[in-house]
Amino acid sequence: MRRVAVVVALTLAGLAMAVVGGLVIGPTPIGTTRVVGDMFSHLGLGHSTLTSLQSTIIWQLRAPRMVLGLLAGSMLAVAGGTYQGVFRNPLADPYLLGVAAGAGLGATFAIVHVGGGLSTPTWTPLLAFVGAIGAVTATWLVGGRGLYSNAATLILAGVAVSALLTSVQTYLQQSSLGSMTRVYIWLLGSLASATWGSVGLVAPYVVVCVLVCVAAGRALDVMSVGEDESRSLGLPVRRVRLIVIVASSLGTAAIVSVAGLIGFVGIIVPHIVRLLVGTSYRRILPISVVFGAAFMVFADTIARTIVAPSELPLGVVTALVGAPVFVVILTLRRRVAM
Amino acid sequence: MSSVEIRGLSVRVGAKTLVDDVTLDIEAGTWCTIIGPNGAGKTSLVEVVAGIRTASDGSVAISGRSIDKMSERERARSVALVPQHPIVPSGMSVFDYVALGRTAYHGLFRSAGVNDRRVVESVLERLYLGEFRERDVATLSGGERQRMVLGRALAQSTTVIVLDEPITGLDLRHQMELLELLKKEVLECGLTLVATLHDLTLAGQFADRLVLLDHGAVVLDDDSASVVRSEELAQTYGMKLRVVDVDGSDVVVPVRR
Repeated sequence: MRRVAVVVALTLAGLAMAVVGGLVIGPTPIGTTRVVGDMFSHLGLGHSTLTSLQSTIIWQLRAPRMVLGLLAGSMLAVAGGTYQGVFRNPLADPYLLGVAAGAGLGATFAIVHVGGGLSTPTWTPLLAFVGAIGAVTATWLVGGRGLYSNAATLILAGVAVSALLTSVQTYLQQSSLGSMTRVYIWLLGSLASATWGSVGLVAPYVVVCVLVCVAAGRALDVMSVGEDESRSLGLPVRRVRLIVIVASSLGTAAIVSVAGLIGFVGIIVPHIVRLLVGTSYRRILPISVVFGAAFMVFADTIARTIVAPSELPLGVVTALVGAPVFVVILTLRRRVAM
Repeated sequence: MSSVEIRGLSVRVGAKTLVDDVTLDIEAGTWCTIIGPNGAGKTSLVEVVAGIRTASDGSVAISGRSIDKMSERERARSVALVPQHPIVPSGMSVFDYVALGRTAYHGLFRSAGVNDRRVVESVLERLYLGEFRERDVATLSGGERQRMVLGRALAQSTTVIVLDEPITGLDLRHQMELLELLKKEVLECGLTLVATLHDLTLAGQFADRLVLLDHGAVVLDDDSASVVRSEELAQTYGMKLRVVDVDGSDVVVPVRR
């Protein structure tokens, strides 16, 4: 119990650091105390010492990006966690049922065909969202609507739908060499296009979906004894699975539509949390929300500063930072367990 | 009054008939054991009674109510299952595992209440699991684990418990201990048990009634002593059997040809 409290405290501290770091760190150096002072001044405490340019950089560029990072990190992490529980599969991630492939196809189509000029920023997220939802719906239908099928059937249906959509996406991408770089950048994920507008657009979906996923924790704990046994314990397995799939897909689709395919967070964060606090989803899911949010903002801060003024793809940084962290925790745990 | 009524029950998968038109009435507060060779349809039959498999034909009613008409929660409050190969989720404590049996009572968004905890505590005590309450379920021995799975079923506070080969993999002493515990629940709490068992001697000693199944159909359905000593038993298994009286209990012994 004390161990869980320590993990929660450290995770929250990490979140606070990531939030302040996300606002303070950047190519234009602005002191931490002045930024924090400015934050307090917005609450009516003291006066800000920032120039209006500095204030714009922080509140119109860095802040929406940081908030989108929080939303993306928490959504992907909690969606991955719930999928790992509902499919009882440690390799499950939020893209399992085709969200990524569908969104990739939608975005590629928008970039290649609707392409160019001002229309792309509006069409890309819209078509990515439609593609993501369409793909999961196809998986659900192909997989027997979860009525008479089991989890494995759904996962295989997801593999088939993903493979099909990815092949079409690759064809589209190759057939238009001019837009290949932009497609590629989108596929690797980025928060660079974040505005308060895009944050406002996805926030309602993400907040509701995160809450639904967290609330499913108790049901997922029951499901750890398998589908048949949890049904005999009175759990409406198919309904739980449908609710989890809808919430995870909708939230992930919203994130993917504005941030592209950010990999690794959805699969690795729940596992890190599981290693730290044990196997109960009632703990894993809420802590993953906070951990994922902090981790994403931290990764994005690295992505946008380390090779400034250009940026590293976010998907590259999440894996580059996340993989060693995971390995370290895995090794430490094994040593402790022995 | 019958606690479990099975009417014309059939289970078919593709062209294969696993359970063939089975009709049984099992009285409340009695122990009925289904016996029969491998592939006779024992597991399929009890899985339908437990509500985790759908019948192709026929019906099952618990205390007069058809299980098809019950919601998952209602059914889990009427009949509990001790599966043949329970999944043991490592990392979970014994207390939490037994408390899973209360899922149908406190719902999915509320924690186990005071009453739920009281039920779990009483079950742990009855099954001598008190000292294991905080232990990781994965660290238990076979006998302890099987008691814990039974504990989860008892925590469901049902009138009927279905057990599919509950003593598989246990040594002789633990087999007897578990069966004695079950017998005690039947005698003291009026529980109705529907079990499958391979050991014919133990089946005969503990059940009030034996149902002999072959190719999905009922061959013989009678009190234990009659079934154990019947011609049909040896025929169904396709071998020579002798029944020996040891201190007043029937012991079934296979004879080499």
